[in-house]
Amino acid sequence: MKKQAVYYTAGDIAARDIKDLPDEFVLSRHLIYSSPATLAFNSPGAEGFGVKRAGLAIAGSVMLLVAPGCCGRNTSLVSEMKAYEGRFFYLNMDETDIVTGRHLKKIPDAVREIAETTTPKPSLVMICITCTDALLGTDMERICRRAEAECGIHVRPCYMYALTREGRKPPMVHVRESLYTMLKPRKKKANAVNLLGFFAPLMDDCELYALLSSIGVRTVREISRCRDFDEFLTMAEANFNLVLNPEARRAAEVFDKDLKIPSIELTRFYEPDRIHRQYEALAAALGVTFDDGPYYEEARAAVRAFRDRFGELTFSVGECLNADAFELALALIRFGFNVAEVFGTVSEENMVYIRYLADLSPDTRIYANTEPTMIFYEPETACDVTIGKDAGFYHPECPCLPWNSDVQPYGFRGLVALMKGLTGVLEQAGKADRSPAHADGPADRSPTQATACAGATEPDATFPVAAGKGCPIVTGGEEAPSVPGNADAVPAQEGGTK
Amino acid sequence: MRGLRKYLTPFAPDQSGAVSVLYELGGLVVICDAGGCAGNVCGFDEPRWHTMRSAVFSAGLRDMDAIMGRDKKLVAELVTASRALEPAFAAVVGTPVPSVIGTDYTALRRMAERELTIPVLTVDTTGMQLYDKGAEKAYLALMQTFAREKLPVKPGLIGVLGVNPLDMSSLDADKAITRALLAEGADEVRCYGMGGTLEDVRRASEAEKNIVASPSGLKAARYLEKTFGTPFEVRDPLAASLLESCCLPADLTGKKILLNDQLVRADSLRRLLTARGADTVTAATWFMPCPPCEAAGDARLKEEDDYASLAENYDILIGDPVLKSLVPGFRGTFVPLASFPVSGKLLK
Repeated sequence: MKKQAVYYTAGDIAARDIKDLPDEFVLSRHLIYSSPATLAFNSPGAEGFGVKRAGLAIAGSVMLLVAPGCCGRNTSLVSEMKAYEGRFFYLNMDETDIVTGRHLKKIPDAVREIAETTTPKPSLVMICITCTDALLGTDMERICRRAEAECGIHVRPCYMYALTREGRKPPMVHVRESLYTMLKPRKKKANAVNLLGFFAPLMDDCELYALLSSIGVRTVREISRCRDFDEFLTMAEANFNLVLNPEARRAAEVFDKDLKIPSIELTRFYEPDRIHRQYEALAAALGVTFDDGPYYEEARAAVRAFRDRFGELTFSVGECLNADAFELALALIRFGFNVAEVFGTVSEENMVYIRYLADLSPDTRIYANTEPTMIFYEPETACDVTIGKDAGFYHPECPCLPWNSDVQPYGFRGLVALMKGLTGVLEQAGKADRSPAHADGPADRSPTQATACAGATEPDATFPVAAGKGCPIVTGGEEAPSVPGNADAVPAQEGGTK
Repeated sequence: MRGLRKYLTPFAPDQSGAVSVLYELGGLVVICDAGGCAGNVCGFDEPRWHTMRSAVFSAGLRDMDAIMGRDKKLVAELVTASRALEPAFAAVVGTPVPSVIGTDYTALRRMAERELTIPVLTVDTTGMQLYDKGAEKAYLALMQTFAREKLPVKPGLIGVLGVNPLDMSSLDADKAITRALLAEGADEVRCYGMGGTLEDVRRASEAEKNIVASPSGLKAARYLEKTFGTPFEVRDPLAASLLESCCLPADLTGKKILLNDQLVRADSLRRLLTARGADTVTAATWFMPCPPCEAAGDARLKEEDDYASLAENYDILIGDPVLKSLVPGFRGTFVPLASFPVSGKLLK
């Protein structure tokens, strides 16, 4: 029997119901292969944000990891990064601790010693516990409150419970909730907005900042840009939140319930038309209009220039990157490129892209990154360039754009940066410009052409988005956007803009 | 405060040691965890992961698997993977999760053996002990499972136990040891855990003599001695070359040296340093004891402060560079000697 990695085509997957996926695509039905994507997910050390880095998102905070030694082992990768030097402390558990729970009694003393010996004094101590305490049913909230009372310093729990990863509240959802529950109600500022979802900022030149500014928003806050704990607390002043990552939905609920700050959820897309439609939907939700036309044109021009220069390239797309692998693959196909393979995790959210992929490129292979036969993967399909660290791992011979930086690409400018990045790796690899065979260029397979946008409205910082209505999702899909109804306006508590 | 670590990250845990020993033997190794432990092994503690393929997987346990004790599900997944991968054996390596729920590894092994046509071994690591304990358990389980037959002894054949990237802090220790022992007059060298094959393990009784290069190999060497009468010696064949590569002061006469590493290496280096005139060489280790290598005054370290207070009395400290952070006021000479289980860094 030939040993080879199992794959299905986009056509195969699209023909199935999400509840009827092959076993290879259902995590709970097989052992887990540690592909680079799995590692980034299971053991986010030097890259990406796992619970450890996410728990330290607030400037000046430190972390005490209370766990068996194995749970903190790879933290040395993070500790070596300048921003995390001296911010991790460990209280290693042993068998006696598990039986007696004595490790829990040591926590307040450990917090005190950390507070007294660390310079400058930490603003917050995050107590990170792991699977062992999940099974023991430890009430870490109570222990944190006790430590907080005894030591006079903020203490919050975070849960690195790999066991609950597909549960109702996975670790990365929980850690956001844990951080944002520290915010206390403040007087609202009508011209302030929070971006929730990422632990690193959006790229500085992302058009979202300019678009928000054009409608009167003067302060956009992201947890990663807050310089200290006090600035973090000002996130409670926001008029509304934009949720850029579904993992922040629960945190958005906290804002809604405790701080009466409503949220709107956006999705990261790479197709300009989807991006444009999403901005339209967002504008409608806010009762304004956005002039995203120049950014839209810039993005399309970047794609055109790239395609004209390099011709009909064939891509291999991984999932260890700042994108939904299937949405990005679909975008590339609609730009006129080929996608030979996608290494990804099929979910209800991305099934819609797979169905479109199946229409345009039914033979695109889809590999389950975590499935044991991936150990046999050998490149069988020719590809010119890979996107994603995992795709690069599978195709070491190909130029690779990892596209997994901490700083988050987003919107039209994200697409422009992607084209720039691809150009860079292809130039570096000495890939020739477009071959004569591609002289006429491939056809653009975009389904629609967006129309030019209306001009921006006058700055106005009162938006018809209200708390208590859940977190509406505005989409850029072909399907009808789910735009919140004409919600009650939030009165501007502070007049005008800065 | 005892138990609190402020400078050193946790050392390589026992499951990493177990996987390290089994890594190159063509088995299907399942780390019985939720994902993080396997991630730590493949993404950090196993430096061969990105250059040498091995069927090391996570069981991907979820809360209900642990609560309900779904061993049958794990066995079913083992069977499925085994059909696709056709491994020589299967091994289940423990972590904190099975430790907390009290997994019965013997029962698990029997269940798996009933469904599979290959040998199954289990290593009851807990994630709460250090790598050498796991490596020791894996060496012993390997020998007990596969080295069953008494074969004629081959004169000149040397077996080496305790050779893996964690114990040796090197990715080519097997080759270097082979070179060193061939130069000493051996005809053939088999390193178990690195460079060796499962067939080498099966034929372990052929060795004229075993060398224990790190404490993790001692129990298995004793087992082979008891079962097949194979004698063993305890020493690190790489000590001399290692010392050559260290940036030591030229004159060691009268110096007091504190050496931090696994005890076989530390003791082998001690002999060489003493021969060069050092007054006192004390071995201090975070890892397991090894009676044949211990001398009066040697220390077992537990807390960060243990090292700092001990170091005050020495002229030269030899150890992993991260230990320097524990002795900021040390005025003597610090000689770096990487220890992978401590810092995750290999020897250069």
